[in-house]
Amino acid sequence: MLTAISNGITYIINMGASVMLPIVIAIISICLGIKVGKAIRSGLMIGVGFVGLSLIVNMMNDNLGPAAQAMSERFGLSLKVVDIGWPGASPMTWASSIATVAIPVAVGVNLIMLFLKLTKTVNIDIWNIWHMTFTGAIAYTVTGNFWIGILGVVIHAAISYKLGDLWAPLMEDYFELDGLTVPHGTSAYMAPIACVFDALIDKIPGLNKIDISADTLQEKIGVFGEPVVIGGILGTVVGFLAGYGPSEALPLGVKMAAVMVLMPKIVKCIMDGLMPLSERAKELLTKKYGDTAKFYIGLDPAILLGDSQVVTAGLIFIPLTLAIAMIVPGNQILPFGDLATISFFIAIAVAVHKGNLFRTLFSGSAIMFMTIWIANQSIPWLTALSKATGTTDGTSLVAALDQGGCPITYIFTEIFSRDNIPGMFVIAGIYVFCMFFAIRCSKKRAAEVEARQNAEAEENA
Amino acid sequence: MKKKVIVCCGGAVATSTIAANKVVEICKKNNIDVEICQCRISEIGSNLSGASLIVPTSRVKRDYGVPLITGMPFISGIGADKTEAAILKVLKG
Repeated sequence: MLTAISNGITYIINMGASVMLPIVIAIISICLGIKVGKAIRSGLMIGVGFVGLSLIVNMMNDNLGPAAQAMSERFGLSLKVVDIGWPGASPMTWASSIATVAIPVAVGVNLIMLFLKLTKTVNIDIWNIWHMTFTGAIAYTVTGNFWIGILGVVIHAAISYKLGDLWAPLMEDYFELDGLTVPHGTSAYMAPIACVFDALIDKIPGLNKIDISADTLQEKIGVFGEPVVIGGILGTVVGFLAGYGPSEALPLGVKMAAVMVLMPKIVKCIMDGLMPLSERAKELLTKKYGDTAKFYIGLDPAILLGDSQVVTAGLIFIPLTLAIAMIVPGNQILPFGDLATISFFIAIAVAVHKGNLFRTLFSGSAIMFMTIWIANQSIPWLTALSKATGTTDGTSLVAALDQGGCPITYIFTEIFSRDNIPGMFVIAGIYVFCMFFAIRCSKKRAAEVEARQNAEAEENA
Repeated sequence: MKKKVIVCCGGAVATSTIAANKVVEICKKNNIDVEICQCRISEIGSNLSGASLIVPTSRVKRDYGVPLITGMPFISGIGADKTEAAILKVLKG
């Protein structure tokens, strides 16, 4: 009997993620009291997302890959690995064998930390648990040890919630989001770097007086800030730089515009499938911890992206990230999939600088530099993950700035793989150093918020 | 007449899907014929024609000449009733 069950499970696992996860999600959804028909639909939507992603990533690699390589050869660059971005990395993570266990583990770590009063962040953002899962999935793929993978999820989750606490005063101070925070694998993880730059620029006479903010750039740029146009231009330009004639460069541009437009539509299928699950989890968590006076509700950084300084910085960093990619020593990655959403990397940095774009330019550049460098180290890991999940056949290398460039994922996996120990110590050293400044920055801003509230209370009295 | 509602977030994937489902649900309950256009915030401008309402999941300060109600409460669960009422007021009016 038991062997029959385990044979059955192995049989399903062997059919790959596009079959396994839909079944698992449908079963979990039914267990949570969702109607059978709806649960099956949810499961199938996830499968659709996986199938669609595989199509699009392969098309991107087949077309943009050779062009990037030809361009690199002509100009002596090394940008031959295409960045698939978070729209490529997140479905691979959900497709990994660790994913279904990772959701309860990440929520469980949150509940335990809340119970032990180690955090005030209540994360109701189930989608972005993929960031935590990514650390686990990569570590599992590299080491082959399931428990190291789970440990990766636990560590990434615990740090995320602590970062949620850390950034809560800035959410209130700059974004006016009282009682909310963003315990996110990219925004929250990269912002400590900005705290160092903020403290540094504060000390430099002259520079510390410069304050630039720009609300109008978005209107001036117009459609040039839209993913479809970014994809089209980038594809065409890379085509021409690769030495293609117009008959090859222009189709490449149209194809890359298609990737930019279709990618989120495909990834949305996975979100659709996870909806019943994430809505139910949200309901249960807010019922118990919905009091924003005592807790910070952890949400997706999407809530920060409406801020005009964040939008403007995101636009400036499209060309800037490409420029940085040229100067990072030994960089092999052509930034692409994350270009339209660079704001995810720098949203909290903008709040650290109180919307001062001048400072965001410096810290954002440092953030992207570090991200690109780390993402280079994780190319073999991500390629292995994409092969293990059946997204690609593993012949062409893939990279992802988001989350392949995450310091914690890198440090954690490197502890076990040990193929670049000096690199690990340098990144770990920099990151710990930045954390000290982050804690100082958080305390300072919390004090400012409190002082302002006291002053207001006195005025009203 | 069909009402067009633009629901948007950073990547047109996660939070806008949640908000879009809520808007559809609200409209179904109140017999409003609705068409959802889900996009990124940077794509609002290109999708404006014929839109009756914009629901971003973050605070958008720019004026598009179309009523704009932030859908953040649908994501956080805090104050969702008020947002629901505000959306109905725009779509019924």
